[in-house]
Amino acid sequence: MSEIKLNSLVKNFGGNSLAVDNLSVTFPSGEFVCLLGPSGCGKTTTLRMIAGLERPDSGEIFCGDQTYFSSNTGEYLKTEKRNLGLMFQSYALWPHMTVFQNIVFGLDMKNESSSEKDKRFEELEKLFQLKNLKNRYPSELSGGQQQRVALARMLAVNPNLLLLDEPLSNLDSNLRLEMRAELKRLHQTLGCTIVFVTHDQMEAMTLATSIAVMNKGIIEQLAKPMEIYKNPKSLFVAKFVGSPQMNIVDFNDGEQLASSLLNKTKFDKNNVKTLGIRPESIKLTSKDNGDINGTIETIQPTGADWIVGLNISGKSIFAISSDQPPGNENDIIGLSFKLDGLHTFDRNDLKLEAD
Amino acid sequence: MVSLNPTNQNSLLIRIKIKISQLLLQPSFIIGSILVIILTYLVIAPIISIFSNSVSLTMMDAMLSGGKDGAFTYKYVERVFTSSISEKIFWTPLKNSITVSFFATLIALALGLILASLVTSTNIFGRRYLGFLLIIPYMLPSQAMATAWLTMFKNRKISGPPGMLESFGFTPPDWLAYGPLPISICMALSYFPFAFLLFSSALSKIDIQLEEVASTLGAKTKAIWTKIILPLLIPTTMSVLLLTVARTLGTFATPYILGTPAKYTLLSTSLYSSVRSNESGVVAVLAIVLSLIGVMLLLVDIWVVRKWQRFVTVGGKGIKRQPSKLGLFRTPTTIFAWLIFLLAALGPFVVLALSTLMREPGNFSFSNFGLAYWTGVNVPGMDQPGMFTSPEVLTALKNSFIIAGSASIICGALGLLIGYAVVRLPGTLISGFLRQISFLPYLMPGLAFAAAYLSLFAVARGPIPALYGSISLLILVMVVTYLPYASRSGISAMMQVGPEPEEAGMVLGAGFWRRIVSILAPLQKSALVIAIILPFITGMKELSLVVMLVTPGTELLTTQSIRFLDFGYTQLANATILIIGVVVMISVLILNRVTKTNLASGLGG
Repeated sequence: MSEIKLNSLVKNFGGNSLAVDNLSVTFPSGEFVCLLGPSGCGKTTTLRMIAGLERPDSGEIFCGDQTYFSSNTGEYLKTEKRNLGLMFQSYALWPHMTVFQNIVFGLDMKNESSSEKDKRFEELEKLFQLKNLKNRYPSELSGGQQQRVALARMLAVNPNLLLLDEPLSNLDSNLRLEMRAELKRLHQTLGCTIVFVTHDQMEAMTLATSIAVMNKGIIEQLAKPMEIYKNPKSLFVAKFVGSPQMNIVDFNDGEQLASSLLNKTKFDKNNVKTLGIRPESIKLTSKDNGDINGTIETIQPTGADWIVGLNISGKSIFAISSDQPPGNENDIIGLSFKLDGLHTFDRNDLKLEAD
Repeated sequence: MVSLNPTNQNSLLIRIKIKISQLLLQPSFIIGSILVIILTYLVIAPIISIFSNSVSLTMMDAMLSGGKDGAFTYKYVERVFTSSISEKIFWTPLKNSITVSFFATLIALALGLILASLVTSTNIFGRRYLGFLLIIPYMLPSQAMATAWLTMFKNRKISGPPGMLESFGFTPPDWLAYGPLPISICMALSYFPFAFLLFSSALSKIDIQLEEVASTLGAKTKAIWTKIILPLLIPTTMSVLLLTVARTLGTFATPYILGTPAKYTLLSTSLYSSVRSNESGVVAVLAIVLSLIGVMLLLVDIWVVRKWQRFVTVGGKGIKRQPSKLGLFRTPTTIFAWLIFLLAALGPFVVLALSTLMREPGNFSFSNFGLAYWTGVNVPGMDQPGMFTSPEVLTALKNSFIIAGSASIICGALGLLIGYAVVRLPGTLISGFLRQISFLPYLMPGLAFAAAYLSLFAVARGPIPALYGSISLLILVMVVTYLPYASRSGISAMMQVGPEPEEAGMVLGAGFWRRIVSILAPLQKSALVIAIILPFITGMKELSLVVMLVTPGTELLTTQSIRFLDFGYTQLANATILIIGVVVMISVLILNRVTKTNLASGLGG
């Protein structure tokens, strides 16, 4: 159980921009933290720096009262000494070792007795449903089994901190749902701090207890999942989290819609550059009964609800309706906007807060 | 938002301290740096030395013609290119080399292409076996073909026991026994397997769907070949062409054995006789010329490969081409393919073996057969012990094993270490430098490289002792010459494994040595075995590289066979070559066992 503190971390791979740009953040102990962002945003680099596989150019990393790295004092703790677990995206199971050998490798490094190893293996075998797989080689396991072995291998040493790199991206969609539940249960049982990296906002929302949205080497926002969704602090976060995406409008592109949205808020047009409205905050009514009229372009029923493509004087947006839409393709209907899904951003793409 | 507080109190000293401690903690950096130092000396120094030798006066010439030992001079360049003997030592050999290379390459290319097409894509009889059998000539030392030819066609022009045909009462004319014709044929038969391998692999890589599309559009088999398959083979053809030319230029044994009796000199044999007559300046100039030709061929090859890149087809679904039915041609083509096997592999082997078993060549009466040349009992007209009792043979056998064995082990280890440093330090100077420098020996033909080593290690330089006449020099030169292959396979092996397995070990607390022993070594086991056996095979049959570096006492089997031949002990030479052949075959079988694949992937290049 340790809190992770990063202080002014900088990492440059020699490109034009920094991979990690002066990053300072604290992940409280026992949290299930997600680093979320598009590829190349520096999330995996950050994870690897915490693991010690990548060295920061400058800055500090602490885990509890241990100093992992400090460019101020020149301290650096080798990966081998950090007592953490890291599960790789590819799992990196050693193909020449059996499931048992893979899992007890960390205990071997600590020179644990073989009875201790057996005991620990049995516990993990039970926890991860690895019955009868003990003597198999990784190539003889299914994708889900491989992942469970990879997790068990890291948990065998009781790490202070568990790091997961894109933990679910190699699984098919059914297995993903199952493993998501498993990881969540695991976090509740173990209570250790987990940091994981993903580009999938759905994975982040469903798993994490807090999400750090990263962009171009900095953290744009660190908050609880629902807070990130309900109250994105920047345009980037607003666009990145949510599916279908938040509808984004500015005055150059969809003047009529933008004005109509702005009317709902108390902001002055001069301060607002961009407006955003979540698809589920658009209510569909009959023509002339809403804030504005629009034409239905497409209707995609998903079973649970309808994703409706709308056109408002040339600007295309999406709405999600839990009721049957009040019209068919090419019909004109009315739209009303709910304030809770409406966001305004200033010239710096930061959220405008109502005072 | 996240707080921004740049820390400026970092003093320069701490930064440097961190940087150094980081680098020292990184095993790949330490290994890389050490390799850089060693390889710089072993690769760059010989090259510099040979360039300086080409323009500095030797001690001998300084004494003869006045002048200072080591003074700058164009004397040797002039001697090679413009002097009265230039015709003899350079221009004629150049002309001869070009002639022989041209014909040898042409034949090898044609044989390779035809046989590869037959074996990969038709239903000739025994295609499964031919795929392996046709590679055998490649495993024989290059002098096997030449000595077999000599054993067969030798006439009274040179000393020693008569050739087999001569004993039958037919005296082969000189043009059939020695000179350009037999040299071209022998080289072609030795090198066609290389073309065969490359063409076979290119043919099996062509996406079968490309052909299927053509046949759905109405193309017959013949049209598919002329309009689709053959054009797609153009880049491979160019590569085969250039690499075979390079090989034939660097071959020493064949022209030495079959050219010398007719005074037919090639660049390689001319270089050798300059070494024998201690003309180190001329040797240097000739070696540079040979290397420049090598570099030129390689550059053309790189250019061709780049130019034809659009022809590269990324493999399809791995569906094998259905062998096309040859119909009436099935029997003739089968006979042709097996005939080539007979001529290039089985024939020489049988001729060599027979010659060592017959007391008198050409006498097939039962009483004439025996193991005399092997046991040394009752050897007619020879004051030499037999193979099993000859101290020279035993020494050569021991030396061959020690030299090829240690060179291949060092090479394999070095290859993986280079791979480790190159792959784990991406984008750094060390990585780029190691990649380049380990490739450099590829540009120099073995003979030229040996000449460079001869001039570098003839005397003690600084802390490096004079190694000439020692076994270590032979090991060293072998290691460096095979380095390009070793490092290339080491790099690709490390690439394949990727960093994750090692990083997973790191996370779980395994230190550097532990990671090497428990994770990397087992993962690279088969790569390491291949990286050792391949250079061992090449080393066992290596001649041109070592022929000018050996001294009495450090002879290898290959050079010993040449000595026997020089003295006219044809049977002993043949027996020695047979031993090499057997050792190589066994190694190949072990290799096949270990890798469970055929040789096609390993022997190329």
